[in-house]
Amino acid sequence: MANSSDTLFSKALRLSTFLAVAIALVGSLLGYIFYQLPGVFAALIGAGVSALFGAMTILSIWFGGKLSLNGFYAMVLGGWLFKFLLFAGVLLALQNAEGFAGPVFFFAVVATVLGGLAIDSWLVLKGRVPTVGN
Amino acid sequence: MDAVNIAELTGNIAVVGYGLAAIGPGIGVGLVVSKTIESIARQPELAGRLQVTMWLGIAFTEALALIGLATPFIFV
Repeated sequence: MANSSDTLFSKALRLSTFLAVAIALVGSLLGYIFYQLPGVFAALIGAGVSALFGAMTILSIWFGGKLSLNGFYAMVLGGWLFKFLLFAGVLLALQNAEGFAGPVFFFAVVATVLGGLAIDSWLVLKGRVPTVGN
Repeated sequence: MDAVNIAELTGNIAVVGYGLAAIGPGIGVGLVVSKTIESIARQPELAGRLQVTMWLGIAFTEALALIGLATPFIFV
């Protein structure tokens, strides 16, 4: 059980990575069944991109927490802005890609995001975060 | 200034989707952050705990944005 914010964030990162790998594997299998090779690529990209963005949020709050309050908000909000510009760029590139299995990508993104949320909520509810910052 | 006939506008409607997917979560994250700052200003000793709770708030809000940005892949 997590007993400090460091343990909480490292556990969240670890579990989210496991989840993304599991979704990439299952998604690749389903993607191959419905769309052949483009489905496999779409599932891998979808799970990978969502896991990366979830990890960026965790890392920005984890390491931002070690800075001053202004530094913390600069890191969290700046990271958020940067992440969404990057995500929009990735989507723009993928939309014009030939033979890309869009639905597989969408469902891989949704599954990874919702699974990540379930993990985060579970950890925060179960974890014991000290009242005084560590 | 000449009136614009909206039926004559051209372009990809997904762009409007991108915009809408950004507005809601933008406001949501702004609210989460502003309330956290307010709470830390009132009780600085709770900063560590509030930052962890804020993480959960931001994670839920950005999930909506990520899903919203990916919807053109199934709707277009």
